Amino acid sequence: MLEEVGFVDVRIGEPIDTFGGAGGEENARNFDVSGYSFIARKPD
Amino acid sequence: MGEKTHFGGTEQADMPVDVDELRAEVQKKYAAVAVEPDAEYHFHTGRFIADRCGYDMAVVDTLPPEAIESFAGVANPFELRALEAGEHVVDLGSGAGFDSFLAGIAVGSRGRVVGVDMTQEMLLKASDTAEAMGADNVEFREGYIEDLPVEDGWADVVISNGVINLAPDKRQVFDEIWRVLKAGGVVQFADIANGNEVPEEARRHIDLWTG
Repeated sequence: MLEEVGFVDVRIGEPIDTFGGAGGEENARNFDVSGYSFIARKPD
Repeated sequence: MGEKTHFGGTEQADMPVDVDELRAEVQKKYAAVAVEPDAEYHFHTGRFIADRCGYDMAVVDTLPPEAIESFAGVANPFELRALEAGEHVVDLGSGAGFDSFLAGIAVGSRGRVVGVDMTQEMLLKASDTAEAMGADNVEFREGYIEDLPVEDGWADVVISNGVINLAPDKRQVFDEIWRVLKAGGVVQFADIANGNEVPEEARRHIDLWTG
């Protein structure tokens, strides 16, 4: 979606086990959910 | 993240939940996180999750407890790029201000940070903490991330953490980010993404959106 809007140079970081040990862990595991950092640039 | 990863999972055209109902549930959940940060939620809060997300804890520990305890982020928006002195930053869904205050430290006195949130309890907590910290370069404004109270082209950087996934109309959020960014500006944010597609039936469960 970032590229659809026009952003460029999109990068994604390593996954974080955001929900591990929390109440939402089961749902997170079911849907393979992790936290990620994203970065993109609006062109000059 | 593999090719099958689905960021956010939903677009406006097939929005499976009522927007007002979802916003009300999100506000209810995060109002609780503001006033009872140590209660049990579906997600981790506070210093524990900040450490897991890879924040620089030496900097985090310079913040007052009120700025840390209600943090409910999912990763580190500063992982892929450090902020620079003097930058103008907008924080989408700023909550109790954790990322905004870290941004304020990074951009320094020549920089500015505007945190935007829709939950009164979070805005009040963040503003009180900013005043107590003397964080003159950080301010908090009420608003929706789909309709940011920020002028066109003001921001060098837009950050967010664990919030865009809660917006039913993600395309509108990214259009707003585009609008407030200067040419050459950067969006650097943290959020959840799922490797397995969420079935339509599950996407209609607001508890799964907010949990």
